[in-house]
Amino acid sequence: MKTKISHILKKEIREMFRDKKSLSMMLIVPIMIPLLVIGMSALFEMQMNKPVTDYNRIGFAYELGEVEKDFAKEFELDVTTGNLEEIEEKYKDGFLDLYVTKENQEYTLHGDDNDTTSYASSLVESYFGAYKEYLQEEYLKEYEVDSGEVIHIIHINKEITEEENYFSSYITNYSFLFILMAITVSATYPSTDTTAGEKERGTLETLLTFPIRSKDIIIGKFLSVSLSSIITGIISLILMVISLIIAGNMFEIYEEVDMMLPANSLIFSSIVIIAYSLLISGLCIAVASKSKTFKEAQSALTPLTFISFFPGMIAFMINVESSTLLSLVPFLNFSLLFTDITNGTVDYINIFLMLLSTIVIIGIVLGIIIKQYKSEKVLFSK
Amino acid sequence: MLKINNLKKKFIRMNEKKQKQEFYADNGISFKANDGEIVGVLGPNGAGKTTLLRMIAGILEPTEGTVDFDGLNYKENEIEIKKKIAYLSGNTKIYNTLSTYELLDMCCDFYDVPKSKRKARIEEISKTLGMDEFLYNKIERLSTGQTQKVNIARCMVHDPKYYILDEATSGLDIISSQIILNFIKEEKKKGKTILYSTHYMEEAENICDHVIMINKGVVIKEGTPDSIKKETKTTNLRDAFFALIGGEVDED
Repeated sequence: MKTKISHILKKEIREMFRDKKSLSMMLIVPIMIPLLVIGMSALFEMQMNKPVTDYNRIGFAYELGEVEKDFAKEFELDVTTGNLEEIEEKYKDGFLDLYVTKENQEYTLHGDDNDTTSYASSLVESYFGAYKEYLQEEYLKEYEVDSGEVIHIIHINKEITEEENYFSSYITNYSFLFILMAITVSATYPSTDTTAGEKERGTLETLLTFPIRSKDIIIGKFLSVSLSSIITGIISLILMVISLIIAGNMFEIYEEVDMMLPANSLIFSSIVIIAYSLLISGLCIAVASKSKTFKEAQSALTPLTFISFFPGMIAFMINVESSTLLSLVPFLNFSLLFTDITNGTVDYINIFLMLLSTIVIIGIVLGIIIKQYKSEKVLFSK
Repeated sequence: MLKINNLKKKFIRMNEKKQKQEFYADNGISFKANDGEIVGVLGPNGAGKTTLLRMIAGILEPTEGTVDFDGLNYKENEIEIKKKIAYLSGNTKIYNTLSTYELLDMCCDFYDVPKSKRKARIEEISKTLGMDEFLYNKIERLSTGQTQKVNIARCMVHDPKYYILDEATSGLDIISSQIILNFIKEEKKKGKTILYSTHYMEEAENICDHVIMINKGVVIKEGTPDSIKKETKTTNLRDAFFALIGGEVDED
C-alpha cells in the first residue's frame, strides 16, 4: 500500500507557509536571540565598568581621623560627615549611597537592598579592610612585633589555568536555552492549528473521508510541525552564532575570547536542535489533538511550554552536570548537552542516549495519538 | 451493492444529575442499496441519520454491526472502500486557503489519480459544474453556491461508485440546493448509488427510488415512496412519517 504521508506533509506545509501566524512564529521568534545576546552583553559590560562616582557617596555618622580620611581618598570615597540625624536625612533624600555608624569599635553599614548599595557596600568593605590592616600593623609595631610575619603569616600563590571567560559561557548557555524556548513557541502554534484548529474549522472530518490511514495523517502532521520547529531552531542557531561574533567584537568583557563556536559544536548543537524539535512537536500534537478548539488547545499547551524549559533553566542555575542517567531524562538532557557543548566537554554516549530516549518517547507519543485518532472522542467530542 | 447489517452506535451523555448515561444513536439499523439507486434516509433532527452515514462513510466506528460495500468491510478493506465512496455533508468544510484547482489536485493525490490524467479530469469536472471562472481562485473568496460546487467537485475527482450525502442541501438557498439535486440526478444517470439523508421529505420524494425512515435510532419504515404512501394511506412522505410515529417527534 502506497503511503500518503508525503501528500499529507505537502498539504500541511502549504497551509503552514500560507498562514501568516505560523510563518511569523517560525521566523520572528528567532530574532529575539540577537536582542538577548547584545542586550545581556551590554548589561554585563555596564555592570563591570560602572564608574565609582555612581556609588561612592558615603556618609559617616562620626568624625574621621586623618588616617581614615587618607584611606577614604585612596578608595575614592566621596565622604560626608555629620551627626546620625543629618546623615540619615541625607541618605533618605538620595544624597548618599550608603552610611556608616560607629559604636566603640563596631562599625555598621546602613543601606537599602538595591544594586547601588551593593556596589557601595563592597567599596566600603574594601576601605575598612585596608584600614583594619593598618590598625593591626600599628598595634603590632607598638609591641615590636614584625607585622609582616603575623599578618602575612602565609602566602597564597595562584597557578590556575585561565578559566573560560565567564560572560562568554553564560551568554552562550542562555542563548542555547533561548533556542529551546524559541523551538517550543514555534511548535505550539502549528501543532494547535493542524489538530484542534483543523477540527474547529471542520476540515478534519473531510480529511478522514479520504483513503488515508490515521497513521499517515498523524505522521504527516508531526513531520510538518517538526519541520517548522527545526527551521526555527536552525535560524536561531545561525543568529546566535552571528550575534556572539558581533558581541565579541563589540564588548570589552569578551576581550581575547574567540566567540565563534567550533565546527563540531555547531554539528552537536544542530543534532540537539533536531532531536528537541521532534520531541516537542510530537508532544504538542499529542496534547493539542485532544482539544476540541484552538483556544482549548492553547490553554492545554501552556503547562507543556513551562515544563519544556524549566528543568533546563534550573539545571543551569544550580550547575547540574551531565551524566549517562540524566541524558535519558527528557528536556533536562537537551540543556545539559548544550552546557557540555558550551564547555567543549561533549560525551558521544550522552548524545546517543539523548537520541535514544527521544526516539522512544516520540514512538510512544505518536502511537498513542494514532490510536486516539480512530476514536470519535477525539474527533467529535462535544 | 451496499449492505448495512444491524448497525448500532452507542454514545455516552450526561443526564441532569451529571451522571454518565449510555444511549444508542442508532440501534440495529439494516438495509440494502442496489447499484444505481438513490436511497433516501429520512427522519427528523436527532433521529440518528448523521451517525448512520458517518459509520457508513468510515468516519465513525460502529459499536455493533457491519457495513459491506461490494463484499468489502472496513475492518479489512478501509482504504479500498474509501476509494469507492464520496462523502458530503451539509456542513462539510474545505481548505479555504487553497484555490479550487489546488484542492482538487490535492484530492487527486489522496485518491491516487494518475498525474497524467489529473489536469484533464479537473477540467472536465470544472466544465460539468460550471467552475471555469473561479477554478484558480482561493476558496475563501467564493460564494456559498460556488463553494458547494467545489465540494461536489471534490467528491467527483475519483469517480466514486457510491455517494454518501448527509443533509447536503441543509441551510443552502434554493439555487445552491438545486445544484446538489441536479448533481444527484446526473450521477444516478451514470449508474452511481447514492445514499441521501434529509429531513426535507418533499425533496426525498422527488428524487429517491427507495426510502428508509428512521426515528430514535431505529428504522420505522422502508420501501419506495409510493409504497410507503400507499401503506400509510397518505399523499406525501411527510404525512406518512407522522402517521408512522403517531405524531410524536423526539429531537434529543
